[in-house]
This record gives sequence, C-alpha cells and structure tokens, in this order.
Amino acid sequence: MSERENIEQLHNALEGVAAAPADLRTRELVAIARGLRNMPREDFRTKLKADLKEKAMATAAVNFIPKGFHSVTPYLVVQGASQLIEFLKQAFGAEENLRVPRPDGTIMHAQMKVGDSILELGDGGEQYPPRPANIHLYVEDTDAAYERALQAGATSIGQPEDRPYGERSGGVKDPAGNNWYIATQFGPQHIPEGLRTINPYFHPQGTDKLIEFLKNGFGAEEVGVYREPADGPIVHAKIRVGDTIVEMGEAHGPYQPMPFGLHYYVPDVDAVYRKALEAGAKSISAPADQPYGERSAGVIDPAGNQWFIATLLRMRE
Amino acid sequence: MARRRPLRQSVSDAPDERLLIEAAQRDLSRFADLYELYFDRVYAYIVRRVQDRGDAEDLTSTVFHHALANLSRFEWRGAPFAAWLYRIAANAIADRSTRLARERKIEPASGIEEADQEEAQDQARVFAFVRELPDDQRRVVVMRFAEQKSIRDVAEALGRSEGAIKQLQFRGLENLRARIGGKNV
Repeated sequence: MSERENIEQLHNALEGVAAAPADLRTRELVAIARGLRNMPREDFRTKLKADLKEKAMATAAVNFIPKGFHSVTPYLVVQGASQLIEFLKQAFGAEENLRVPRPDGTIMHAQMKVGDSILELGDGGEQYPPRPANIHLYVEDTDAAYERALQAGATSIGQPEDRPYGERSGGVKDPAGNNWYIATQFGPQHIPEGLRTINPYFHPQGTDKLIEFLKNGFGAEEVGVYREPADGPIVHAKIRVGDTIVEMGEAHGPYQPMPFGLHYYVPDVDAVYRKALEAGAKSISAPADQPYGERSAGVIDPAGNQWFIATLLRMRE
Repeated sequence: MARRRPLRQSVSDAPDERLLIEAAQRDLSRFADLYELYFDRVYAYIVRRVQDRGDAEDLTSTVFHHALANLSRFEWRGAPFAAWLYRIAANAIADRSTRLARERKIEPASGIEEADQEEAQDQARVFAFVRELPDDQRRVVVMRFAEQKSIRDVAEALGRSEGAIKQLQFRGLENLRARIGGKNV
C-alpha cells in the first residue's frame, strides 16, 4: 500500500467512514490516537507549574529568610553609622530595629525599617572599608521627603521633577555619601509593581556583564531591559533576584560605579556560592555557619558589588 | 487488551528519584523537578477515572498542591514517590465523589489501583513521546487528538492544506507507534 493510501485509510478509520476493515497497522494508530484524548492541555501543565513554583517560593521563603526581610537587602558600610541612623529617621521616617555597637562606640551592625523594607548598615573598618551606595527610594511625597532629607543634612543631587517614565523624582546625597533617588510613581500606587520602598540601584561599567552574572550565578530573571539607542548601552534594567528586583543603568556622567554590599538570602548557601564562582564571582569567604544563627558566604560580582549570601540555620524543632 | 509489564519494573524508572525528593525536601524550589517527572502520570491516572478534563485539571492541581505542602512528611521507605502521589489522587477523587452525592462513589480497591497506576504510567510515556515529536507533527497530533479538532480546523489554524494535515497526523502517529513498539493494541 502506498503512503497516500495509508494516509487515507487512517483518515477514514479515524472519521469512522472506512469502506473496508482497516489493517492492523491502521488499527494500532487509531488506538494511539484515542489514547491521546486524555493528554493534558499544555497551558494547564505550564500554569500549574508556575503556580506551584510561586507557592514553593513563598513557603520556602518563610523558612530561610528572617521575618521582615526580602531576598536582597542593601548593606551600607559607612563612616559615621550613628549619624546615618539619625538621618534615616529624620529624613525618611525609618525605625531602628537593631543596633549592635562595638566597644569603641562605632556600630558593628544595625537594621533600619524603612517603609516595607529593611536596610542594614554598619561602620566600615579595615576589612570592609566604607562603600556608599545608590538607593532608589519610593515615598508617598517626593517633595516632602526631599526637603526633610536636606534639612537632615543631605545635599541635593537633583531637584524633584516629573519624569517622562512615570514618576516624580529628585536626588540627595546623605551625610555618609550614599545617593538616594527619591521617587513617587504617578497614579494611585506610589511604588511601582514589583518594587519596594528601598531598591538597590547599580551603575556598573558593563551592565550586560553584571546581568549575565546575576542570571548565571543567582538564577536571576530579566523583568525589563531598556537600551538607548535600541542597540546601545542599557539605560535602565530591572532584574529579579529571588523575590527582589534590583535596578541598574550603565555608568555615565555623574552616575559612576559605586559598588556596594548586599545581603542575599537563599535556601542553599553552598549551592549559590558555588554557582556564583562558576559564573565569574570572586570569593570573599567560603560558606560557614555563623554564631548568630545563619550560614553565610561572601562573593564579589564582576561589577565589584559584595554579596553576603546567607540562609537562616534551621532551628531544632 | 493492553499487554502489561509487571508494576515492579516501573518502580524505579528514575534512578535518582530519592535524590530529587531529598533535594526538594531541603529546598522547595526543587519541587519543579518532581512535578516534571510525575505530572503526566498523575494526570493520566486521574483523567482515566473522572473522564472529564476540567475535573481532571482541578484534581491534578489539588494533588500537587497537597504534595508540595506535605512534602516534608514523605518518608523514603523504598516505596515509589509515585505511589504516594497516586494515594493522594485516589483520596482526592474519593472526596470529590462523596461531595457529588449523585455520582457513583469510587472505592479504591488495591487490584484496580495497581492496574490503573500501570495504565497511567503507559499513557504518561506516550504523552512524553508526543512532546518529542517534530514540531509540525506534534502540533497536529495535539490539536487533532488531544484537543479533538477537525482536520479542517487544524488546517485553518496552521495555514496548511487538509492533505498536509492528514499526512502529518499519519506520520505523527506512525512515529509514536514506533516509539511505543506497538504495545497499545
């Protein structure tokens, strides 16, 4: 029988219009076709997988991230941490969650709550010299926050203005040298979807390389990448690391690289540390259990940012 | 009548099943690996018993959400993970029948269970083969037989002639038959 005849015989058998009984091969093909009626819909399979992933991440997050934290938290290493704490309280209404002083009165570690986010900071030393950072801060009223920041000792790096990308924003440099891009999104929600009160902002030289590292090393996902011109440098990118979006734009003009420190909570420190090194990071410290109930490791990414990869150690039940 | 392999042969079709489960118990984001491995089997098992796509999807969703929430309770004792999932599925189906009082209640009996599980595994293999078909054959096979679309509708949707669709459905099924080894009749 020619292929054409086979094709027709199969078609007739499937449609139930066979003139003569089908041969064994055709009957087998029809049986296979009938079995496929029970095949799951591909979009159902994909959607359920996505739902489960979301649920798994939410459930897992409860176990490895301390309460109130998100995956990524900026860690400001500064000179004059006490003054910075006062500044954050006055300018942005921050609340002090934790302060661990050193015997000499400097601050080893502090946690500040700002809106829906936590910010960590401490005084720099020989091992970790001060590294001021860029923070994109969303507030309900940019102008008011900008004014309060100036009164609290900041200097202006840009008056509040309406921006074509949908927000009003201005900028200040705090007394410790950190840059704050203070912004309010137009519309009913002052924080854009997916972002938080505090968002780390990088100005690397080689944004593509940093994004590549975050994807390969930390399993990050691109949320949005905007170039200008279309084949030019990245002017703005949003990259999701765990449950947190970090922002970045290629260094230019006054926006030069200010690599800083970040606390990054993950389920498996050792695995993420290993992957980060494979993706081109340099090690600061290998994974080790810490006396404060975390297992942590440190790496430097290709843009010079220091990531302190950590997980809450499981408490005995 | 389908020729059946003894169930025991299908018990450890994933040699690293235990490692996958332990990895997911440590890190729930690894649950996706288990999902990929067992989705077809669980779905096939359920859809055979409820005979309705919408119900099968709801129940499959229930099973995997329950499995995710209770993964830490699963203890490896040599019994396949699939058996645990089938048990959750059987309970979910029984709950549903109880709720739908007018429907016949399905009593899970062990003899039927084993046959159903094997059948589900066979079907799952075929579903996996479908996904490995060349793209044009896969699309035609899925639209024609999984989605029950007519030759004309498929031809229209894919912008091909009806003759081309008939040829692709033939070649797709032929490919599946070669992979299955003619065991489906």
